Amino acid sequence: MGVVCVYMYPVPEGKSGQQVVDSMQRQLELLGAVKTGNFNVDCETYLSNNPQGTPQRSLHLLHNSEQPASCFSVLDTGTTLVADVLFEVLMAKLTQSKSGKDGFYQQRKGFKIESKGPRFEISDFVIKIGSVSMASNFKGILVEVEYCPCAIPAECWDLMREMMQSFMGTVADTPPAIVKSKKDQFYTPADTINQYLEHFTNFRKATVASQQPR
Amino acid sequence: MALVGVSVSIEAVQENKIQEVTLDGQEIVIPPLSMSESLAKSAQKIDFTEDGSEDHSAKTSEEETGDKEAATFQPSLWPWDSVRNKLKTAYTEVGVLLDVLNIAKEKKYMVLTHVQQDTSEPKSAVQLLAKKKGIMLQSLISGLSAASAVLLSGAERLKRSHEDKTGASSDKFHMELLKLRQSWRLKKVGNAIIGDLSYRSAGSRFWQGGTFEVTKNTGTSSGDQTDVGSALQNPLQVVIPSELEGTAYVQVEIKSVPDSMNLMSATLQMPDAIGRTPPNSHWQERLDNAQNLLFCKELFAQLAREAVKMKSNVPHVVVGNQIITNIFPGVQLSIVLCHSSNKADKKGVLQGVSQPARTDNKPVLEHSLHQLLREVHHKTLHLDPPQPATATFGFTKRRRLAGPLGLSRADLKEMADSETLLEQIIQQARHEVLKFRTMATIDRLAEEVRDPQIMAHWSCLNSPLQSNMKIIITSSGYEAVRSQGLVTFQSLDLEIGVDSLKAVTKDRRVLQLGFQEKEVEDLIRWQISQHHIALSQNIARMIGWEVLGCNGCNGVGAMEGFASSSSIQLVAPKNDRMLLIKSGPTSGLHVFLKIDNKDNLDPSLAALVDPKWLNLGGTFREIDMEQIEGGNLATKLELIMAMVCKKR
Repeated sequence: MGVVCVYMYPVPEGKSGQQVVDSMQRQLELLGAVKTGNFNVDCETYLSNNPQGTPQRSLHLLHNSEQPASCFSVLDTGTTLVADVLFEVLMAKLTQSKSGKDGFYQQRKGFKIESKGPRFEISDFVIKIGSVSMASNFKGILVEVEYCPCAIPAECWDLMREMMQSFMGTVADTPPAIVKSKKDQFYTPADTINQYLEHFTNFRKATVASQQPR
Repeated sequence: MALVGVSVSIEAVQENKIQEVTLDGQEIVIPPLSMSESLAKSAQKIDFTEDGSEDHSAKTSEEETGDKEAATFQPSLWPWDSVRNKLKTAYTEVGVLLDVLNIAKEKKYMVLTHVQQDTSEPKSAVQLLAKKKGIMLQSLISGLSAASAVLLSGAERLKRSHEDKTGASSDKFHMELLKLRQSWRLKKVGNAIIGDLSYRSAGSRFWQGGTFEVTKNTGTSSGDQTDVGSALQNPLQVVIPSELEGTAYVQVEIKSVPDSMNLMSATLQMPDAIGRTPPNSHWQERLDNAQNLLFCKELFAQLAREAVKMKSNVPHVVVGNQIITNIFPGVQLSIVLCHSSNKADKKGVLQGVSQPARTDNKPVLEHSLHQLLREVHHKTLHLDPPQPATATFGFTKRRRLAGPLGLSRADLKEMADSETLLEQIIQQARHEVLKFRTMATIDRLAEEVRDPQIMAHWSCLNSPLQSNMKIIITSSGYEAVRSQGLVTFQSLDLEIGVDSLKAVTKDRRVLQLGFQEKEVEDLIRWQISQHHIALSQNIARMIGWEVLGCNGCNGVGAMEGFASSSSIQLVAPKNDRMLLIKSGPTSGLHVFLKIDNKDNLDPSLAALVDPKWLNLGGTFREIDMEQIEGGNLATKLELIMAMVCKKR
């Protein structure tokens, strides 16, 4: 598992998301990248059914095609659990309403958000350009860059920044907050997921904010 | 005034005893006793053994008792008193007897009847029952005795018949069966005893099952007196299915085929008959052979299946009972299933006889094949238990942890790939060939090259896929020559893998070699040339000569076939003698000595030119090392240096 940085690439006015993705793809191919398939990161949210009075807690369930056997779940407190895919079955059981009583959790409809796109490999780097969509509405572009050989961010951050600046420009000046906080520790897949979750939350907030002034 | 004429009658109250009060209030009274009943009751009360006078005269009884009482108070007044009493009792008794007889005879006023007695009837019922039981028991006994007689006669007959036939009791069969049960699984199905000699219970999933039947030996060979075994004939016989008859083994051969591309020219090998099992050999031997045959069949079937399915650069050929593949160009691996059945296989026998010692099979690889299949069996049975117990069954521990650990797709794919049996045995065969070749090369070189000694140390712990060895090149007699802490020998660490070698030199350079034998030879020759120069350097220093220059890799001069030569320039301590030593892997060792040309100097120039200027140039002449005395370069050099060192 290498070090992963996820950035949101701003879509300039007038251009569509697809155009931006294509242009980036061309840039990468010029650099010598090889397309090795597609990737998919998705997130579903569950809300707890608490008795009256207690605030509702949320649980996010994420999948990453890079770790096909795993299922990640993040609580609103920040606790992250990396589990086998059978965890979904457990969630389904918790969500089930039996004999009139509601289940412990309920799925928040229409909140499923995912990032899909092509996956490229350039020697030790893996670059993914994902178009984020929520209920088939395009929301933005997330670029993920992974440097496989190293697992400690402090050691490879400079190299990664150089790589990212070559095709992303100034977007990647500072490391993401999570990478910064874990500079000298081992980087884990759970950290990648937290980065994605942060971006997804931002996209959702942006949706709510844009919907509100009506 | 008293009323006259009123009769007052006194009678007892008609109060009968109530026997029972029914639920509806009715009283069931005991009926009053009839006249005869009451008489009988009273008569029972009479005690006939008492003094009779008291009963007969009831009227005068009081008086008489008074007299008698008075009389008895005077005991010895009348001596005949006792006589009188006795006579009186006798008289009374006779009177009663007369009355009884009169009643019994005349039947006028009194009749003798039975007094109600209930005890007489039960006595008869018991008697009847007892009688009935007696009859039943008797019939039972007779029946049982008849049955027992039949059974006994039957048993007698069986015993006799059995003894007549075999001459041994049935105990022997059971003893043999017990012995059989200790090594083989048996179970009784209906009337027959069936056993299982396949590896199913050990984890095999082969389609062919091995069931055998245990029967009693009927001993038809009683007429065959020439057969010595008939006397010790086993009462137990096993019937093995016909396809498992005979013996089999798997033979693995590695042969070098010069015409490497022509796989089709592989000859079908007729199996050498290792001997048929005679039909009346011991059951253990027959069962063992059948089991071995089944195992070999399974092994070969698995290898053949993999050979056909596997997509590799080198095609595998499966012909009949043979699998042939090329492991190296020019080296062929063949796996043959040799099965000699019990049917008279004359052709096979003949061929085996004509080529007695043809087999150069590798027993190590055969054993390895057996072990690999057993490992497969073991894996089928011993699956990792799922933790927690409700998780999916059949996953390895690593696969189960793949989720929580967040393993990537590449990791999962790596886990899913597992090597087939054929691949594994090919790798082992390759390593075997490579190891053997390397060994042969080094041994040959060690014999050829006399000057520095080549010593090979093989590690005693090897794996089927990797061996390690160390080559040390020294000059005999000068192993411990040290100069500034450097010991004079060259060493090479060789790691022999599946299809390549890795060499680590003394100065820690890692070289990857292919599977060609020549590469190892070249490497050693180059190391020898390096050794020469290093040795010269150390000896020079030891003796006192100065090293003017040392070059490990000459960039000038004629090019070597491979690698490069090295050279060293030495100068004597006291005079101007110079030695040049050049050693290359293909060019060999050359030693040059500077010829002193002082004699050729023009005497006229002697005053002008300083003799030291003559040191600058000079002619070098090669020394014929063959003619110098000495076992190796070191001794020769020492000699040369000592000779040349004379002060001029």
